[in-house]
Amino acid sequence: MRLRRTKLYLPGNNPNMLLRGHLFEPDGVILDLEDAVAVSEKDSARILVRDVLKRGDFGDCEVTVRINAMDTDLWRADIETVVPCGIDGIRIPKVENPKDIRLMDEALSGIESKAGIPVGKTLIFCLLETALGIWRSYDIATASKRIAAICPGGEDLRADLKTTRSENSEELIGPRRIVVLAAHAAGVDALDTVYADITNDEGLRRETEWVKQLGFQGKSVIHPNQIPIIHEIFTPTAKEIEQARRIIEAAAEAAAKGLGAVQVDGRMVDKPVVKRAEFTLQRAGLKSGGER
Amino acid sequence: MKTAQAGTLESMDCIVTVSESEKGRGISVSMEGASVARFGGAIIDSTKETLKNLDIHDVSVSIQDNGAGDLVLRARVEAAATRLTGGDAR
Repeated sequence: MRLRRTKLYLPGNNPNMLLRGHLFEPDGVILDLEDAVAVSEKDSARILVRDVLKRGDFGDCEVTVRINAMDTDLWRADIETVVPCGIDGIRIPKVENPKDIRLMDEALSGIESKAGIPVGKTLIFCLLETALGIWRSYDIATASKRIAAICPGGEDLRADLKTTRSENSEELIGPRRIVVLAAHAAGVDALDTVYADITNDEGLRRETEWVKQLGFQGKSVIHPNQIPIIHEIFTPTAKEIEQARRIIEAAAEAAAKGLGAVQVDGRMVDKPVVKRAEFTLQRAGLKSGGER
Repeated sequence: MKTAQAGTLESMDCIVTVSESEKGRGISVSMEGASVARFGGAIIDSTKETLKNLDIHDVSVSIQDNGAGDLVLRARVEAAATRLTGGDAR
């Protein structure tokens, strides 16, 4: 399982952030060619992002590029430029239609085979930033084997829902639950949107704990200071890891003896408990498996 | 005379301005900024090499540097030159 607790956005026309963003040790970086780049600078940002990708110094980060939306005339040039650099994935904004994902899948395959990259290597992360995109989230998440995650939008989604931001983001409760359900039904990650108030650490902590409880695997990040807070919340504690190990050992022993269930710390250990324990170890980076 | 520009004066960036010159005049480079005293020679070499790779041979280039490394300089030169020639900035 690839950890995707944090994905740090790096503005595509900002050399300082593009070259140094990975040093803050997020699980992934998103080189952004979309909203962070003025329309007049798209060409220049594309060249800069290409050269930063070619340099390839991103530590252990999963490297993705947010391309321009598929209803613009920019997305083809974006993928033709960045995919041959061997990135881990692309992030598509404002996805509404599974047909667009199939079109993207084909386009990526063509570029990969021309560039000598294994076909299917480039993953797709879908941003669902409209009511229609959220409504179709399961169909989108299953439209290609390349889909690694689906992510609800923030401000764009609020605008499409004809609402505004509230203190606890109550307006996004429904969309977030739908995305989590669709993602897990499809076997992909559910990754949450950014927390925009970069000075409010308590608010970030509260929201992150809540989305973790809902079933998200991580959040996008717009400021490096947000990374340690989110990592702390999404990383199992030593006590949780120890307990998960004991549960898995006890379950293995029981299976070897032909027993169906067993007790650990006075609690019955059955299949769902073992599954949760395995997930805890995957999150701690101590066990392979899980979603793409 | 046609002129095109790319880049910013943010930290680790530079502004590159490329202007058309008469055929046969070659590439001339002028610079100002933080790294010029130490890296002026390397900046000129990288600028000329980037332009020649784009098959551009007669331009004057002005660079305002704010700590751009070689990678950023080359990207900005390419962006400005591509804008000048009106090509696809890919």
